[in-house]
Amino acid sequence: MDKDLLKKTMTEVAGLIKDKKVSPVEVTQNLLDYIDESNKKTNAYISVTAESALDSARQAEKEISAGNYKGVFHGVPLALKDNIYFKNEVTTMASKIHKDFVSEEDATVTERLRDAGAVFTGKLNMHEYAWGIDNNNPHFGAVHNPWNPDRVPGGSSGGSGAAVASHSSYTTLGTDTAGSIRIPSSACGLVGLKPTHGRVSKFGVFPLAWTLDHVGPMAKSVADAAAMLATIAGFDPRDPTCANVPVGDYTSGLNGQVKGLKIGINEEYFFKNVDGPVEKLIRERIADLEKQGATVKKVSIPSLRNAEWVELATSLSEASAIHHHDMQTRPEDFGADIRFLFELGELFTAVDYLQAQQARRQLKAEFDAALQEVDVLIAPTLPFIPPNIGDDKVNINGKQMDFIENCIRFTGPSNLTGLPAMTVPAGLGDGMPVGLQIIGRAFDEARVLNVGKAVEDMKPMGDKSPVLAP
Amino acid sequence: MSLPIKDVLAAKGIKPSAEHLTKLEAKWKEFEALKGSLEGAHLDDYDISLKNIAGGDHHG
Repeated sequence: MDKDLLKKTMTEVAGLIKDKKVSPVEVTQNLLDYIDESNKKTNAYISVTAESALDSARQAEKEISAGNYKGVFHGVPLALKDNIYFKNEVTTMASKIHKDFVSEEDATVTERLRDAGAVFTGKLNMHEYAWGIDNNNPHFGAVHNPWNPDRVPGGSSGGSGAAVASHSSYTTLGTDTAGSIRIPSSACGLVGLKPTHGRVSKFGVFPLAWTLDHVGPMAKSVADAAAMLATIAGFDPRDPTCANVPVGDYTSGLNGQVKGLKIGINEEYFFKNVDGPVEKLIRERIADLEKQGATVKKVSIPSLRNAEWVELATSLSEASAIHHHDMQTRPEDFGADIRFLFELGELFTAVDYLQAQQARRQLKAEFDAALQEVDVLIAPTLPFIPPNIGDDKVNINGKQMDFIENCIRFTGPSNLTGLPAMTVPAGLGDGMPVGLQIIGRAFDEARVLNVGKAVEDMKPMGDKSPVLAP
Repeated sequence: MSLPIKDVLAAKGIKPSAEHLTKLEAKWKEFEALKGSLEGAHLDDYDISLKNIAGGDHHG
């Protein structure tokens, strides 16, 4: 097994494939050999499709040898979250109810990656139906955080986070309804980007809450996330919420330059009830950005005080509508935790839901006004260090607080507004990764990525790596 | 007068366990307190922003 090859980023391994220093078959076989070993510790994969991966790798090798190189994903092996459809293959949503579901079509994001020559190694574990954040799945088992196997990887894309952090997938996609890309990316020390709502098609991705759902990259580096976004972004008429807005250039402008950048800080919401080690790291990184020529301005977004109720009323209502029939006819087939959430979602009235949408519009207007004053907002991604598997409380400055509500407190607002939001590693607190969140203007992912690159270039993780790594 | 949670759910064909009912009642009280933040939010001017697009999902 070539451990150095496993630890490459997606764009690094793509460069080796392009230069014919390594073949897609060698890269894929090396990764498959490692998955056999690593999955026993992380439980990141639900299924491994070794045979079809090797077939795809052989096909990529032929195409590249014949001079038909398609780009950075050509011949690169990766796995996707198991709520993203693959044509004629099982997609389980990590559930009992959908354990044998076979889609007749690829999701649009699957199709775009397939067309780009990606090699699919399997499907990744997740919180059941993406409705939770600890990834302690009753049907497929708990996923373990590669930085500390006793800790949660975050969720709902916890398998995605653990797979990339343990180097058992070169990169991947997550889905994000209240933070499910950014939470596990933060907990696992990765870059995770929730694009602008409508930037990436959701066609063929099982919904959690239609108006809040997003699909986006989870990656070892900002460059990898940019390359993934460039491949999957763009209008798709099959997704009713997809926006017909030109796709930006996410890769060529990535230089990490922040001179003249205006950073907004909202103290009242995004720096309230934050665990000490997390707050310290985020403020240090902001100070580092200032040293590089950025300026910091405090901004006010008063309606953030409503954000938690609006996120809960919207997500719980929409999710319960999607699963209403199964809750009436076969509730025992859901895990107890999500069954409880579906029961809770049935309690909101139509008036509650519509008032939440009014408050959401107000929140959007205030975020837009703030982002006229500054280029980006910076905040912690999570207000705490990830807890142990099985804990339903988190420690914030010595107080035991609700895990779920605090998990989505800083990520949920960007699902409500639809604005792009990315987490990048800001350093280690208590030996665990801490994520810094960058929120940008609508469709301004290029700037968000570039600020992330500036943070990445500070090398805040030093030479530390997860314990479950090659 | 509001109906007990058990009755609201029963009317929708959903039967939570006794353990869940206790938890649901506690959580719903927390949500009502959270919703209290909407008081004074002056929402009258805010359209709900759902779009009714004639002829399909997208313009053009």
